[in-house]
Formats: sequence, C-alpha cells, structure tokens
Amino acid sequence: MLVVGLIAYPFYRAVSLSFTDKLVGYPERWVGLRNYIYLVNDDTFRTVVRNSLVFTVASVALKILTGIAMALVLNATWRWRNFFRGLLLLPWITSTVIIALTWRWMFDAFPGRGFFNSVLLDAGLLSRPIAFMATPEGAMAAVVIANWWRGFPFFGVSYLAGMQSIPGELYEAASVDGASAWRRFWHITLPGLKHVIIVTTLLTFIFTINDFNIVYVMTRGGPGTATQVFATYSYEVAFNALRWGRGVTISIFVVPLLIALIPLVSRYLLRERTA
Amino acid sequence: MKAWKVATIVGLAGFSLLVLVPFWWIASMSFKTYEQIQFAQSIYVPRPFTWENYTGLWLDTRFPLWLRNSAITAVVVTAITTVIACLSGYAVARLRFPGRESVASLILILYLVPPALLFIPLYRVLAELGATNSLWSLFLSYPTFTVPFCTWLLIGFFKALPTELEEAALVDGANRTQALVRVLLPLAAPGIVASAIFAFTLSWNEFLYALIFIQDEKSITVPVGLNLLIYGDVFHWGQLMAASVITTVPVVALYMFIHRWMVEGLAAGSVKG
Repeated sequence: MLVVGLIAYPFYRAVSLSFTDKLVGYPERWVGLRNYIYLVNDDTFRTVVRNSLVFTVASVALKILTGIAMALVLNATWRWRNFFRGLLLLPWITSTVIIALTWRWMFDAFPGRGFFNSVLLDAGLLSRPIAFMATPEGAMAAVVIANWWRGFPFFGVSYLAGMQSIPGELYEAASVDGASAWRRFWHITLPGLKHVIIVTTLLTFIFTINDFNIVYVMTRGGPGTATQVFATYSYEVAFNALRWGRGVTISIFVVPLLIALIPLVSRYLLRERTA
Repeated sequence: MKAWKVATIVGLAGFSLLVLVPFWWIASMSFKTYEQIQFAQSIYVPRPFTWENYTGLWLDTRFPLWLRNSAITAVVVTAITTVIACLSGYAVARLRFPGRESVASLILILYLVPPALLFIPLYRVLAELGATNSLWSLFLSYPTFTVPFCTWLLIGFFKALPTELEEAALVDGANRTQALVRVLLPLAAPGIVASAIFAFTLSWNEFLYALIFIQDEKSITVPVGLNLLIYGDVFHWGQLMAASVITTVPVVALYMFIHRWMVEGLAAGSVKG
C-alpha cells in the first residue's frame, strides 16, 4: 500500500501541478488549462508528438519483424539452443544507458571511435567520415536502431516460447496435406503467436512512447528538436527551463493513451493467468 | 532439408554477430591507448594492449565511489523489494480476502505506469521529505517499479505451487507464518531468486530517477556518472569504455548464472505465450 501511495500521490500532484504556472523558486498560481492550450499551439510540442510516434512505431515494427526472424532461427536450431538464446538476450539485460553510449560510439563521426566510419574507411568504401547523427533523419534512425537492438531479443525469446507451445501435430497434418513452408508459417505459426505478439507490442509501445534514456544519452533530443520525445522534452522544460507546471503537462498528454492501453494489456495478461 | 540447415546456421551467425559486434567494439576500445583511438590505428584489435584506461578510471575519477553507490542502492532495493513482494505475492495468491482479484490487476497497472510520468511530482514529494540528493531518494523511489513487477512474478510462482503441502503443515498445527516460512518459501526459492535478480538489475540499470533526484557528484550512481564522463572530460574515451565494461560485467555474470531461471520466470510470470 505504501507503494500505491508512492505512485498515486505523485500522480495526483502531477495533475494538480499541470494546472499551475509553477516556476522553480516561485509559489504556484492556478492558471487553469493555460499550459494545455499553450502546448497544443506550440510548434515544438507538435514536433515532439510526431517524433515520439515515429520513434515508437518504427522501433516496435522493427522489433516484431526481427523478433519473428530470431524465433524462427532459434526454433530451427537443433543443438545449443539454450546457449544461443542466452547469448542473444544479452542486449536486453544490459543497462540502457550503456547501450545508448555504445551506439553513440558506433555511429560516431570520428574514425577510431565510430565503428561504421572506422570499418568503412578501412575497407576503402568511404573517402571521408560521415557524421551520421548530425542530420535530423540520421539522428532519428540512430536512436531507433539503438532501441531496436536493445528490445528485439525480448521479442524473439517471447515468440520462441509461443512457437514451442504450438502443437507439432498441426504442422504434420499440414505437411501431409501438402502445405508449403510459407503456408504453414502463415496459417499455423502466425495465428499461434497472435496472443504473444499483441501482448509484447502493447507492453513495448507503452514503455517506448515514454522512453527517456536512449534519446537523452544519444542525442539530448537534437540536432535541434529532431529527436525530442515526450519524456526528454518534459525533462528539458521542467529541469532546464525550470517550468514545472508545463513540464508535467507534457507528460500528462500521454495519459489518455495509457488509460486506453493499460487495461487492454492487463486484461490479456490476467486472462492467461487464470487460464 | 539441407537448405534449411544452412539457412539456420547463417541466421544464427548473423544474429550472434549483430549482438556481439557492438559489445566487442566497446570492450576492444577499453583496451586501446589514447593514440590508437584518436588516430584510428589498428581498429580491429587493441595493439598495443593496455590496462591504462582501467587503472586511470579507478585512480583518477570518482568511478569507484559511483560503483559503491550503485551497489548499495541495488542491494538495499532488492532486499526491500523481495520482502514486500514475497508477502504481497503470497497474500494475493493464497489468502482469501475481498477484492483479491482487483488487487492483482492494480499491481499490474502500477507496473505499467511509466516513470517518465512521475518523475517531476515524485521529485517534489521526495524534496518535501528531505530525501533528495542522497541515496535515500532511490531507496524510496525504486520500489515503485520493482515491487509491482516482482509481486506480479511471485503471484505466478506461488499460484503454481501445490496447496496440499501447505495445508498439511496447517493441519499439523503450524500457523500461517510457519507454513509460509518453512514450507512455501523454500519451494518458491527459484522464483524468489529470479525476482530478486530482476530487482537488482532494474535498480542497477536505472537512470532517470537517479539523474533527477541526486545532484551531488559523490552520491550519484554509475549510469549518471557515465553521462558526466561523456560531457565532462572529452579526452578519456578509453576510460568511458572501461567504465561501461565494468558496469556490464556483474549483471552479465549474474545472468549467466541463472539465465534459465530468468527465462522460465519470465515465461511463467509475465508474458507466457
């Protein structure tokens, strides 16, 4: 109950703070919906919304596709499967900050520090280094790749568990009926994975749309506001511009989405518990 | 079938490379000299091989202190979490009380509330309690995500255990506490260890709260310290890499030790397919 208190009370404070113009060092004043109206009309905030969606949708889509490929490969592995499953899970247990740092160096513009520049220059494929993260598109691609790399192993392992729970007789029957490998995948494997795909997608969507670590460590939201997302912008406004009321309001814009998604995930997860 | 085998081997090799190359890049940079990194010499292997980044990190920076802070935080939070999660997991899984099901969904919902939503108000609450700028702020705030997650895992573990043993103990005159401590906890040990490791890893890796709640450079944890190293001192790339390696090794070691439990714990606890 203490824990409930530690979440519920701050949440209540967040909502009440969002209706004030709290600046650090000044008493808060009630301003009604002014923070909300300001943000809706703010160009930067619109960019933030778009960035968050691009970041989340691209990462999640890549994770699903790679996760399915990884699960298929592991499922077809006949020896050392546990070893490879453990190996491939490594990114998922590594600290996000370290992953963000790692990918920052992978894409670094200086050869010697940046992996891609070092290798491409060494192989003679480039004549001069590329500053991958200096363009808005490049920076967004870099944070998406880092987030994808961190998350796809979890998808792969979850899908593998799902594939292993599909009864083998279904495949045998399909083979007898002459179904091709592709048709077996499309009509047996994918429907069998539907549940786990929905759960992992929703869970990851919730956590990715609120991601802070990867973007903050890799780009600080830059160049300009090209990779600024909800959490980093909220941090920026609250702790650099010291406008707490507005900072909190930014994160509250995500709440309706959470209110829609969280009960959905809970229902799925609770259903399998009781089943 | 030959083609499938080849495809599987290619796939395994591809995924292994994809996972290992970034780790290898960081590890190899941590053993390179400053000149090697700066002038892109011998990019694939550290030659000459040096420990100077590790010794420099240890002697010239506050990294040892940060490591200690991270370790203390992770241990304290894991202890708090394990006790609370065992009791509440047991209560939801075994005791009959009104609203039991809604408590289970509440725990799940709490786990899904993202920290990014709570950091500003939580900061104010902790500031009012006088807990900011010390590890106390982390002892108080980390359980807000570790406890719901671990409780959720443990409910699954406790539910999967047969009730007969406990009932037998109760019939033999044991009380609830004895039945829990002597019978159920030993049986649930694998689940409890897995949940403790999750709590440890989550606290060890946490960044956002640690960044916001603590400004004093002597009280920060490793992830925040690493960020100071990047933006503070631009010349010590190798030290930063060495710090990343040192931070990753304990978690990887723990994980190799119990990897199977972790995967099974996940399967049983959170996202069974």
